[in-house]
Amino acid sequence: MTAWKMQSLPWIAGGMLLLACCVFAVPLRAQETKPAAVAPDNPALNAAASASAVATSVITTPPEVWAAAGKAASTDPVLQAMYEELDRSKSRLKMENVPAPYYIEYRLTDFDEYVAEAAFGALEIHQRARARSIRVVVRVGDYKFDSYYGPGMGVVDLGPLDDNSIALRRQLWMATDRAYKSANEALAAKKALLSQFTSGQPFNDFAPATPLQQIDPLVKLDVNPEPWDAMLEKSSSVFRSDPQIESLTSTLRFRAVNTYFVNSEGTVTRNGYAIYSLILSGATQAADGMRLERSPYFTAGTLAELPSAEEFQADAVAMVDTLKKLRAAPMVEEEYSGPVLFSADAACDVFSGMIGGNVLGTRPKPGDSARTNGEFASSYKSRVLPVFLSMVDDPTLRTFQGKTLVGSYGVDEEGVRASKVAVIQDGILENYLMGREPIRDFPASNGHGRAAPGRQPFPSIGNLIVESKVTSTPEELKKKLIDMCRGEGKPFCYRVETLADFNPRLLYRVYVSDGHEELVRGADFNDLDTRSLRNDLIAVGNDPLVSNRQGFVPVTVIAPSILFDEIEVKRTPTKNAKLPEYPPPDLTK
Amino acid sequence: MKQLARRPAVYFLLIVFASPLVAFSSGTPSDALLPVMQRELKRATAALSKADPAPYFMSYSAADADVSVIVGENGGIILDNQVHRRQGDVIMRVGSPALDNTHNQSRPSGITSGALPLEDDPDAVSRVLWQLTDREYEKASAAFLKVKTNTAVQSAEDDKSPDFSQETAQTHLDETPWKSSFDQKQWEDRVRKVSEAFLKYPQVYDSAVFLTVENSRSYLATSEGTALVRPAAVSRLVIQGETRADDGMELLRVETFQGASPSELPSEPELLAKVQKIGEDLTALRAAPVAEPYAGPALLSGRAAAVFFHEVLGHRLEGHRQRGETEGQTFTKKINQMVLPAFLSVTDDPTRHELNGVELAGSYDYDDEGVPAERVDAVVNGVLKSFLMSRMPVNGFSHSNGHGRRQPGLMAVGRQGNLIVTSTNTVKDSELRQKFIEEIKKQGKPYGLYFADIQGGFTLTTRALPQAFQVIPVMVYRVYADGRPDELVRGVDIVGTPLLSLNNIMLTGDTLQVFNGICGAESGQVPVSAAAPAMLFSEIEVQKKARGTDRPPVMPPPEISSAAVARGAKQ
Repeated sequence: MTAWKMQSLPWIAGGMLLLACCVFAVPLRAQETKPAAVAPDNPALNAAASASAVATSVITTPPEVWAAAGKAASTDPVLQAMYEELDRSKSRLKMENVPAPYYIEYRLTDFDEYVAEAAFGALEIHQRARARSIRVVVRVGDYKFDSYYGPGMGVVDLGPLDDNSIALRRQLWMATDRAYKSANEALAAKKALLSQFTSGQPFNDFAPATPLQQIDPLVKLDVNPEPWDAMLEKSSSVFRSDPQIESLTSTLRFRAVNTYFVNSEGTVTRNGYAIYSLILSGATQAADGMRLERSPYFTAGTLAELPSAEEFQADAVAMVDTLKKLRAAPMVEEEYSGPVLFSADAACDVFSGMIGGNVLGTRPKPGDSARTNGEFASSYKSRVLPVFLSMVDDPTLRTFQGKTLVGSYGVDEEGVRASKVAVIQDGILENYLMGREPIRDFPASNGHGRAAPGRQPFPSIGNLIVESKVTSTPEELKKKLIDMCRGEGKPFCYRVETLADFNPRLLYRVYVSDGHEELVRGADFNDLDTRSLRNDLIAVGNDPLVSNRQGFVPVTVIAPSILFDEIEVKRTPTKNAKLPEYPPPDLTK
Repeated sequence: MKQLARRPAVYFLLIVFASPLVAFSSGTPSDALLPVMQRELKRATAALSKADPAPYFMSYSAADADVSVIVGENGGIILDNQVHRRQGDVIMRVGSPALDNTHNQSRPSGITSGALPLEDDPDAVSRVLWQLTDREYEKASAAFLKVKTNTAVQSAEDDKSPDFSQETAQTHLDETPWKSSFDQKQWEDRVRKVSEAFLKYPQVYDSAVFLTVENSRSYLATSEGTALVRPAAVSRLVIQGETRADDGMELLRVETFQGASPSELPSEPELLAKVQKIGEDLTALRAAPVAEPYAGPALLSGRAAAVFFHEVLGHRLEGHRQRGETEGQTFTKKINQMVLPAFLSVTDDPTRHELNGVELAGSYDYDDEGVPAERVDAVVNGVLKSFLMSRMPVNGFSHSNGHGRRQPGLMAVGRQGNLIVTSTNTVKDSELRQKFIEEIKKQGKPYGLYFADIQGGFTLTTRALPQAFQVIPVMVYRVYADGRPDELVRGVDIVGTPLLSLNNIMLTGDTLQVFNGICGAESGQVPVSAAAPAMLFSEIEVQKKARGTDRPPVMPPPEISSAAVARGAKQ
């Protein structure tokens, strides 16, 4: 039996939780647990670690650095309150019999979001939400071996919206107290866990970083909702043109995020970003019940770079039209193995997922001696792409071909200055993207410690860019595709326009005879993976596309179209999708 | 560690509120929505009657609500949002009333929910309803097949009642416009000011002031012909303070106020007085001795008794608990038997709006299944007579008595509305204390326990509780037989079977006190009231509460420089 309770909570009266998904990802959990992050493999270090934990480490920020931090903080009431409270914590936070902190950080994220969604021509969601999360991390131990583990990974709370210094400092005070106590629990738990493993770790728990003071202008969400709402309603009205459209929604998600950061090393930063997204989403079913979906999206760093109302309307019409064409399209054949040309849009998905997700320097589970996680954990200095390709991640690049890159930032969420990182050079994996948690051979952050509001930082791409020594025009690529097919005696090969989860949404047969294209449906890629990128990618286009994305942090991928000499295409396993039991209602107007 | 997770978890719930950017048509009733729902329901009913298996019942409901939330802590506003939302629920029963898709554990298969257009665009509304209906049919028909199979292969259930009762269709269209007298700015200032008053109590480590103002209208259309439109308005203000004793024990005080509109909430001076009371209570509690294990006479204030009855008795009266295989079924076979002392009676009366001048939170005219609310005399002169019934029948009770309640998105079950405990064995409230002391002396005890306030089983601090219905005494005093002054104690935990202790009630006071709150259960959060007179128990058994292990904060709270105060105040 569950416990049913009489309570005084005022806010859950009725279905509010349903809105949770529409609001932002501030994961307001006090503590985030993550698998233990350390694998010690060196007895000497272990000894040092235990010695350091009983010793009382005191924060000794050089006075001139701390004074400079104070000066920077005095320019903003929020930073000032954070600095004042940190100043107090760093000198006075100490319980008997347990170590004092060696590092404290406060991060406040001010999040302002406007979300609206229309379905079938009418608004269903329309809201503006603002919140401030504070995240406090207290580390005990030392840079070599510390408490950043399990409950020691930070405490989260809400902060006052109105720059009230007293209220903010009270929240920080309580969060700091909890974080300090948890840090000591975490340090003990971590030691107990690591005692199970004999190997030590030849790298620190926490990378030192240069104190940085940088106050950027605040970013504001300055938008008049009315024309946007009208645009959503109008574009989602396109369902009227096709009775077989089963769902059609237009969504917008605009957000401005400002981050205030202060740590005991003397770093004081303030920076922000805005990101604007429009998403169309439509679904229909083919006569055999197969569900067909499209969800084109547009993400930009400025409002001006979003499609105009006319363009967006045209996109909605085009989407409904492709859904209609998909319904009528033939099913893909049972088996195909041969050349496939990926549009730049599809290529961005591939590079984002298969490279972007695998070049992050993150700690493997305790006891696991791997360098990092993911498919490139043991690929350091190995070839992961064809030798004619390189990839860099450059958050410092602001625009590309005139487009604002949403993955740009000057300072990451750990208060470290962003830097350009040559990730893959001539096909060889040369660098991982690093936050302040070191891994083997990578003792320092390269300014890629990113975090969603309230969340713990995690390495992430910023602007991930594909660079090639050799490129072809799209026409040349298509000709190459057809030539290869002809060589293999195939009547047609494939070109994929858009992907969803690495499977085609829009896939075309390209006929060898005259180059004409035919839309097909029901296809999956059987073996598209990092090995395909290394071994089967044979040419790239000169048509790089800027793909701005809203992930847990905004990122940008820039990639051209790409040609694989061999990818397997197979038929989607069909669930017994049923057509609607009865027809949709007639339109009244 | 566990307690660290709690506040943020709560805020996660809070944060889902967000503000609409323009004022929607609040204030004007939406006369177009119901006809659109009815038209589409008729079409769906006709179309699906040819399906196999076919639904025998369908309902469309819409919950249209404007909600404002303001939360303040330490003089700062940490949340300030308004949202206008309209949720649609499609409920479907496939099979027959005797056995349908909602049988037993498969109850959630009866409902599919989604956002409805915020305005009455008939084409969009009917399209969304069609979509939800199609999805619900897929779910309900699959669940029905599973239910049929399970029923065939499993041993027969004790209670062979049908899954759905037959009730008369109702029509009631109350399209009274929403009252909207909410002065956002004024309330922001008030929440700021009231929350700031806690700064005077340095040992109140955590505190918050929550305000919600909700105006809503619910729409219901069923395939049986029921058509209801009902407005509702409720404003709630909660003040909470929290501290920790030096031994780590967590101490919490919560005060809740409720009215139809914000203007019915207490004035600022009254709220500030409450903060002062909470601050003083917590300061006293921190310094109070820890309760010792004790069994002996106890006196419960009316509010404490009301909460006690809601948790301990009220939930066991809920009809659906009498047939669930996983339920305790405490009362299932006790109809017409004594369950309370003969001088006590318990009714649940949602049709009552006010008691002793206090507006009752659990009032409604129709329940969420469209059945008219009824006063239910559940316990008469100590004898169990009836349960709080939704449209889920149980042995001996084949009809709803208008207690099927739910929050949007969930299936209704029998729930409490206004639970009212009355007594025929009363003394004047002023004489209760004397009776109490006499009883203490008679039993030869040095003291008895006076429970001035009992928190409901779920508050901001409480984690999942092992006990089914938990009561947390917060303000408990030792009342000495020898005339010494009363002594506040902390950490009291009632043990033994609370239900048995109800039979130790000897006599009661003569005035009913009301506790208004929100009750959470499997059908979600619903507003409820409980009312009871003060009660004298011959015996209640208590033990020391397990205490937290965290120490009080290491550092004192920040002292704010006058410059900072000025800056803070300006913002």
